[in-house]
Amino acid sequence: MTQAALVSPEELEPPSATLIADYPIPASGYDEMYSAPGMLRPHWQSITQALEDIGGEELERRHGEVQRLLQTDGVTYNTYDDPHGSQRHWLVDPIPLLMTGEEWSGLAEGLEQRSRLMNALLADLYDRRLAIRQGWLPPELIYAHPGFLHACHRSLPDGHRWLIFHGVDLGRGPDGVFRVYGDRVQSPSGAGYTLENRITLARALPMLYRDAPLRRLASFLETERATLAGLARHHPENPHVVLLTPGPNSPVYFEHAYLANYLSLSLVEGEDLVVRDGRVWLKTLGGLRPVDVVLRQVLDAFCDPLELRGDSLLGVPGLLQAVRGGHVVLANALGSGIIENPGLAPFLPLLCRQLLGEDLKLPSLPTWWCGQPSDCDYVQANLDELIVRSILPGGSYWEGRQLDTAARAKLLERIQAQPYLFVAQAPSSLSTAPVLEDGRLKPRPVMLRGFTVVNEDGYQVMPGGLARVSSGLDTLQAALEKGGISKDWWVLAPTPQRHVSLLRQAHGPIVATRDGDDLPSRVADNLFWLGRYSERLDGTARLLREALGRLLEWEQDNTDERCLDDLFEALEIPVPPVAESPRARFFALREALLNLLVDTELPGSLQVIFNGLSSTGRAVRNHLGDDNWRLLNRLQQWIQELPAHLSARQARELLEEELILVAAFSGLNNETMPHHQGWLFFDIGRYLERVLRTLDLFKLAFITARNPGVPLWEVVLTITDNLTTYRRRYRSALHPAAIIDLLLFDEGNPRSVGYQLRRLQRHIGRLQQPSGSPYRSAEERLVLEALSTLQLADIAALATLSQDSTRSSPELLRLLDAVQKPLLGLSDALTHSHFSHAEVPQQLITMRL
Amino acid sequence: MRYTITHRTTYQYSSGVALCHNEAQLLPRETPWQLYRPSQIRIKPRPALSVERVDFFGNRVLYFAIQDIHQWLEVTVATEVRVLDERPFDSSSASPPWEQVRCMLQEDPDPEIIEARLFRLGSPFVAIQPGFREYAEPSFTPGRPLLEAVVDLNQRIYREFKYDPHFTTVATPLNEVLSERRGVCQDFAHLAIACLRALGLAARYVSGYLETLPPPGQPRLVGADASHAWLAVYVPGAGWAEFDPTNGCMPREKHVTLAWGRDYGDVAPLRGVVTGGGAHSMKVSVDVAPNPEPLKGKRG
Repeated sequence: MTQAALVSPEELEPPSATLIADYPIPASGYDEMYSAPGMLRPHWQSITQALEDIGGEELERRHGEVQRLLQTDGVTYNTYDDPHGSQRHWLVDPIPLLMTGEEWSGLAEGLEQRSRLMNALLADLYDRRLAIRQGWLPPELIYAHPGFLHACHRSLPDGHRWLIFHGVDLGRGPDGVFRVYGDRVQSPSGAGYTLENRITLARALPMLYRDAPLRRLASFLETERATLAGLARHHPENPHVVLLTPGPNSPVYFEHAYLANYLSLSLVEGEDLVVRDGRVWLKTLGGLRPVDVVLRQVLDAFCDPLELRGDSLLGVPGLLQAVRGGHVVLANALGSGIIENPGLAPFLPLLCRQLLGEDLKLPSLPTWWCGQPSDCDYVQANLDELIVRSILPGGSYWEGRQLDTAARAKLLERIQAQPYLFVAQAPSSLSTAPVLEDGRLKPRPVMLRGFTVVNEDGYQVMPGGLARVSSGLDTLQAALEKGGISKDWWVLAPTPQRHVSLLRQAHGPIVATRDGDDLPSRVADNLFWLGRYSERLDGTARLLREALGRLLEWEQDNTDERCLDDLFEALEIPVPPVAESPRARFFALREALLNLLVDTELPGSLQVIFNGLSSTGRAVRNHLGDDNWRLLNRLQQWIQELPAHLSARQARELLEEELILVAAFSGLNNETMPHHQGWLFFDIGRYLERVLRTLDLFKLAFITARNPGVPLWEVVLTITDNLTTYRRRYRSALHPAAIIDLLLFDEGNPRSVGYQLRRLQRHIGRLQQPSGSPYRSAEERLVLEALSTLQLADIAALATLSQDSTRSSPELLRLLDAVQKPLLGLSDALTHSHFSHAEVPQQLITMRL
Repeated sequence: MRYTITHRTTYQYSSGVALCHNEAQLLPRETPWQLYRPSQIRIKPRPALSVERVDFFGNRVLYFAIQDIHQWLEVTVATEVRVLDERPFDSSSASPPWEQVRCMLQEDPDPEIIEARLFRLGSPFVAIQPGFREYAEPSFTPGRPLLEAVVDLNQRIYREFKYDPHFTTVATPLNEVLSERRGVCQDFAHLAIACLRALGLAARYVSGYLETLPPPGQPRLVGADASHAWLAVYVPGAGWAEFDPTNGCMPREKHVTLAWGRDYGDVAPLRGVVTGGGAHSMKVSVDVAPNPEPLKGKRG
């Protein structure tokens, strides 16, 4: 018997010491928390105590809460290569990474200088090119890099800055020294995630955050906001600043929407903007509105299909010319992407002396640029110790020691053919920091991303930033696509600091505004479709629930199953061919119905409809309330967690759940979204979809049904949730004339066509008309035509349908067609009047790329 | 020689264009051997905005935008140009051995030579591939003076390739031009540039016009000319020597220079992005008319 078995588990692991004392300090390298076994770094003292007090188990519980909060807030990171569940949830570790204020101020000086240096380098490269002509930088390093855009030569008017924001990736080596791994300037993502991490962790771990003496992030973001507003040359008192995003498919779209909200900017896509008279304008429902400053999150080359990449659909034709004219300011300036070239690293010490007259404070990772023959020789001779990277965007890299003979020869051949496209870096192990795993702290390598923003006399540095668990090899984007974990980076202050949020304070006098005619046309378009998809999701789920119910009844007591055929018709799916046995038929029918639930490709399936709802929802994310956003995420979760194999009964229960979520989503939109232009479009979309579906259902039940009669009529009443109303009102068996009155003419019944048309008419009448014409717009005329047709109908003639009538009534068919026809043109009329941005610019000549 | 050059481009759209942004590189450059008088630019319908600027390569670029709905666009540029027979090189000019030129391009710290290194790199229309080097090598024998070798390369392209305006489009890959041995002036210029760059030399693309002479005894046809393209190779310390592989010659006074760049993409005569318009068709007419009137104006 071993000795361990003699003692109780409690004695082996005293609960008070599980977290910190069991931390396995790495034998080599730099650990952020311990300088040596038993030697806790002093600035970790108080937090380790607090962590011990909370305990591993509780920390895990809180961690779960953090992840849940992030998930319901929809904090995501999209991946391009995964068309289906392309949204990845943001993962954050609850243990902060601590840095002393003293150490940070050294680092901050280096970052500030680096931003100044990069700004000076851009100003030189796009004008006199002294750095190249004087030989401080080899020309191939710049000219062979796609980030250098000839069209941007001398594109900035005097006094404008190239670099407004700057993100810098940092890692600490075994010697304790921070080195720069890379620069991000085209869309320096992370600042929004950093803020969201901080806010969420502070919510979940108030005991850790409330009194912590850490530097707050809000003042940095306040500078960012003030900087953007200050860049405006034309409307300094009330500048219009927009955030230009590639759209909901961008990996970091969450952050774009988040920052736009936090900094009070309009969130726009390329197609929302237009250049006229040399200025940039936002297309809104009320016409064009001038734009002064663009916080740009679209890559340089995609911003202007006239002068840059002609195949780009994300940009704005003529944008670069508007920049030259000085009428719009871009942050960062177009062309700044050249700074992301990793081959610049070896030349920075000289450039810093030449351009700034200073010594470079913050070293880069040791880097060899293969375009220099001596460096190239070194790289080829020492490949095993190096990581080779392409300088081209995309982040391809090769670890020398991992290459087999063939791969090695192939790489060397590529380097020899175009040596200037390659750099090599000496990897160094990154410092480790504690990360919570299974209730314990584990040392994991971390990288940091620091941020700077321009201010009056240089650059301000964010006190903290985004920390992430990383091997140091891949880029931030690559790491996040693999599901990397982020951390909150704390910079300690001498005393506890007050929590400030930009959301809770005003910046000077505020101009009262109501969502009205300044709503971007694209947003109105998406809200309209959001309404249509939400109603479509509801309608399809109701039909499906009913069909599954009938299927189950038939299975149980072999009742009449014929109205299933008509439900299949309503669901627009083919009825499976006749089967050998009732059992086989049951399975065939069930499979066809369940496909509508789980199939991700089948047109009209819940999955496909939900994708429409989700993408339009994401495109208008900053117009939805937080709770509604959470509901959308709950729906997403519901749909993603659908089991692959379902029984009909399970499916019906799941559909009940879904129907409640969809109803809550639509209802909450009514309750929280201000009833101005945006909401009108949402509501019009919903009711247009509903009235079209109701009319279809009617036609099926009373005219085209294969098996008309009471069972089908009952289904119609159930689907429209009017069976109870009917029974209360008529207390009798179903009679078609009564059903027609309830669902067609009763304008007090929200499920009736009459009510839906009245509502559409009212809301369409309230839409802003672009021209201010005294005449009715096309959409007003169409809805009026439908409504008056219905109101003028001869109800008595229709009511002659007898209870057992199974033949179609020509009067009813005529009426339904006459009401439906104008409505089918309504969607197009709305598009034409209000969303007519849909035209995509095209090139006059095709230029190969 | 004196010329009046009239270059007219017409676009016809199947439906209305609500907005168009355009860039034209139709204004000539000034060089030591070329002078011009201010161009007459006529754009119909009238642009709301037009701005001239000088681009990275020193070319003149005209930006203009039309903001009213239109069904067609016509851009006419007429310029009087005088070309002197003073280009710095001819086929008998002395030059260093080509290997020495390549070496200077790699190592010489002279700012002008450093800047020329841009034109040794591949560019969007001129991807550097081993096939081009193989094609060039017979002309570049060891120790051969650079210009002598390029004259030879230029002649070989002229002799071995067939001028065939129906074979290529702007999107035909260059290695197809090489394997099929046919193309138009733009392809031959790109091909020669690719060959030179594959050898480590610096070469640039030149766009412009060439006076074409009618067959003996026939009148000159107005508007039958076209845009032309050729190339220039860099001779360190001495400048750029021009070659026209389509005609197997070195440009003298019949070649009018508009613009130069890494390749066609940098100097396309007219590009534009339109909103709306549906399908469109384009018509270009160029007239290079010898002009007996003496050119007045700048240095004329």
